Amino acid sequence: MKELTPADASLLELVDRLLHKGVVLAGHATISVAGVDLIYLGLNVVLAAVETLEGKQERRAS
Amino acid sequence: MTLIAHAIAPVPRSSLKGGEGLRGRPLSWSGAGDIGLWSTQWDPADKLDRNDALEHHRLLERICAVQPCLPVRFGTAFASDDAARASLAGRVDELRAALDRVAGKSELAVTLLWAKNSGASAPRPPDPATGPGRRFMEERLSRHASREARKARAAELVECLVAELSVERALVWHEICASEAVAVSLAVLIPSERAAERKAVLERLAGRFNDVVGVVNGPWPPYSFATAESSVDSAPRGRT
Repeated sequence: MKELTPADASLLELVDRLLHKGVVLAGHATISVAGVDLIYLGLNVVLAAVETLEGKQERRAS
Repeated sequence: MTLIAHAIAPVPRSSLKGGEGLRGRPLSWSGAGDIGLWSTQWDPADKLDRNDALEHHRLLERICAVQPCLPVRFGTAFASDDAARASLAGRVDELRAALDRVAGKSELAVTLLWAKNSGASAPRPPDPATGPGRRFMEERLSRHASREARKARAAELVECLVAELSVERALVWHEICASEAVAVSLAVLIPSERAAERKAVLERLAGRFNDVVGVVNGPWPPYSFATAESSVDSAPRGRT
């Protein structure tokens, strides 16, 4: 496992907030998985957010 | 043309300098009752990327600097101004109440990373003299015990921070052991004018522990408190 540096942790905390926190409005999530991969910069530790996002899109579609 | 949502804010809308959203495109205001939504006019053919996420953050900081605002989750898009208004219309009262809760406040984030060789981290090595079945079970048991020890220690760290901070528990959110490297992720809502002072206190507190490395970020928009829930808990809101 890649060791998390304080700088990684700062970026991780910010990205986690941008994608996981905040008001959820009944919009349409447009972030592509590739886009999210770019955002995460290889911080696999938070890739769970991608699954959350995809899961929500799937639930909304069904 | 679609809209990429940024923040919910009260009327009257502020005159945001430049009026520019992501990639220099026009900022748009969609009003509903006494609140509204700031968003960027966007071509749906364009994919959002990492820079857009960071620009969304900087834009939120600009909005929060001039008026109370609730950050909207990054990536939320609306097909039209009418769709954006409709998403707010049924929730004006609860969103207005949430805006009142965060008005004049900012968020500070504390991350405690397990230090190298922290005591609770290493599972006990198996005894090579035992058989494979027993070794397998002992390894599992050891890993489980190690995980539980870490969780207990992380919970203890949260209690220490919350006690020292002396803030209402409803103004603290936390999560423990979200990943192998992170012991605690904690957010606290503080008055914006005291942000620098409170950040210094948090940095001092986070630096006190030998088994973790503390990182304090912010002040930034109240991401972790931008929910429309109105209940106030007696314990810090969090996940374990």
